[in-house]
Amino acid sequence: MPEESPGSLTFKLVYYGPAQSGKTTNLLRLHDQLSPELKGEVMTMETKDDRTLFFDLLPLGFRAPSGLLIKLRLFTVPGQVAHDGTRKAVLSRADGVVFVADSARNQEVNNGEAFQSMADNCHRVGLDFEHLPLVVQFNKRDLPNAVPETEIRDRWANAPWPLCFACALQGKAVTETFETLLRLLYRHHALPLALATTHGISEEAFVTGLLGRSS
Amino acid sequence: MSVTDFDKEWQLGELLDAAALARMGPPLAELLEGDAAILDRDGSPLWGTLIPGARREALTLEIEPAGYLVSSSASPRHLQAAARLFMGLLRAEARYRAASALHLEAVTQDFETLKLEHARLLASEARYRKLSEELEERVAVQVTTLKQRQEQLYQAEKLASVGQLAAGMAHEINNPLGFVRSNLGTLRLYLDKFAALRPQLADAQTAWQTLDLDYVLEDSPDLLRDCDGGLERIARIVADLKSFSHVDRPEKALADLNTCLKHAVSVIEASLPPGVELITDLNPLPCQQCNPGHLNQVFYSLIRNGIQAIQDSGHPGKVTIRSCATPEDIRILLHDNGIGMTAEQLARAFEPFYTTRAVGNGTGLGLSTARNIILAHGGQITLKSLPGQGTTVYLRFPHGHD
Repeated sequence: MPEESPGSLTFKLVYYGPAQSGKTTNLLRLHDQLSPELKGEVMTMETKDDRTLFFDLLPLGFRAPSGLLIKLRLFTVPGQVAHDGTRKAVLSRADGVVFVADSARNQEVNNGEAFQSMADNCHRVGLDFEHLPLVVQFNKRDLPNAVPETEIRDRWANAPWPLCFACALQGKAVTETFETLLRLLYRHHALPLALATTHGISEEAFVTGLLGRSS
Repeated sequence: MSVTDFDKEWQLGELLDAAALARMGPPLAELLEGDAAILDRDGSPLWGTLIPGARREALTLEIEPAGYLVSSSASPRHLQAAARLFMGLLRAEARYRAASALHLEAVTQDFETLKLEHARLLASEARYRKLSEELEERVAVQVTTLKQRQEQLYQAEKLASVGQLAAGMAHEINNPLGFVRSNLGTLRLYLDKFAALRPQLADAQTAWQTLDLDYVLEDSPDLLRDCDGGLERIARIVADLKSFSHVDRPEKALADLNTCLKHAVSVIEASLPPGVELITDLNPLPCQQCNPGHLNQVFYSLIRNGIQAIQDSGHPGKVTIRSCATPEDIRILLHDNGIGMTAEQLARAFEPFYTTRAVGNGTGLGLSTARNIILAHGGQITLKSLPGQGTTVYLRFPHGHD
């Protein structure tokens, strides 16, 4: 559940995925593309050879008509297999997840293993994986050996999660992915948190407030 | 141990304690050319003096002010610059806190994973231990069953060899019985002649002649001597049988192994097939504490094996039985120049139930039983054999085995 404190509501979103699938790139592009009322800097904790060791953090926020401050904190996990403990710690308390898969054909096994590890870790840190707002993004669509979209859609046809096809390096569909997650997040939490009724935030207002589009 | 969530949003007062603020406040005030105060995000002072009307600059960590830097003396430009500098410090501190908290959380998670793995390993180890205990139990049960079966077969073999012995005995006893019965019949006829003599005593001489009593008188002692001989043979055979089966002696006894060999030989000689010769070369042996009944049976079955090997070879042969005492042990050798064994047969000779004979003609327990008995006497049995050349059995018994 999002963290409620007087005057503010904080959602924790996590970008999860196999090593070097483009989680940090997603965050960097979002920082460039989004223009919400409040936007912090991307805090990169620690990297080694361009690979995340701890996590990255992008804070965003906007103020609802009721005066409630809606805050989003976007985290990335380290993708390398060895950092499973860190991944689990970052994943805990997540309110929504973007799974960033690598579209390259030779990464299919890694994608599968990372997805399974995400499901396992969700159970271990006490997240309800079945009901967790989750978007699956297939990144690096520009790769020549990318698995075709129709094939991926076929394969995921029976899965309940929305699919996005992105190229984070070129900034393509990064915001769309984020927006898809925002909508899931709103639908999941609006009622219990009385976002519409008490705070006057509709789904559109929620999305617009965080993307920063002029309404 | 309570672990701070790495992703908590820090307050200024949490990042810098009173001591840290007291260290950083004075130089800040100096830079701000007079006074300075540091406020928490709700405006309550953490350090310094709050002068009414002073300017305040927000200190933002993420997107909201985490606290304020306040000064009445500094210009807005200086205050902003000092606030940016101070924010840099706060962010570095926040990053450090987040990193160490995350590290701690990750280590705890890894440790939990390890504990889980450990518990799983322990559980699987326990499963295997239980399985191995059960296995031992099951093996023990099987071994007990096998031992019982072996014992039963051993008894059966013993009975079989006693039966075979009895059959041989019966055959042998029939022989003397036959001529004793025949002689007695003849004697009865002779007595009839004497009975016929009585009314004719007047003409005694003529009657004597007619009845041929001269011959009767002459033949009768022969018949009686024959009968005596036959009865003696029966008595000896019965004595042999008793001695062989040891029905009349305790199981353990002090015995001369030569006596056992002689018993076995005398029992077997009675039914020695044609073309087979038994040669004994028995040298004086010290007496042994042993079970003579069992050893008789061993020698009997080994000699019988030799005889059968000669019969199987299809030509005449001999079984040589030799005994001698050395300072170390007592040695007995049984050699036959019969058919011999192939290497494969030799390798399996002591296996229970292994036999080269047709079904019904051998249980295949002879040699394995013999070995069991010899081992029970602390002895050794070894075989040497070549196909077509014959077989030699070497037996060794330690002196005075109990």
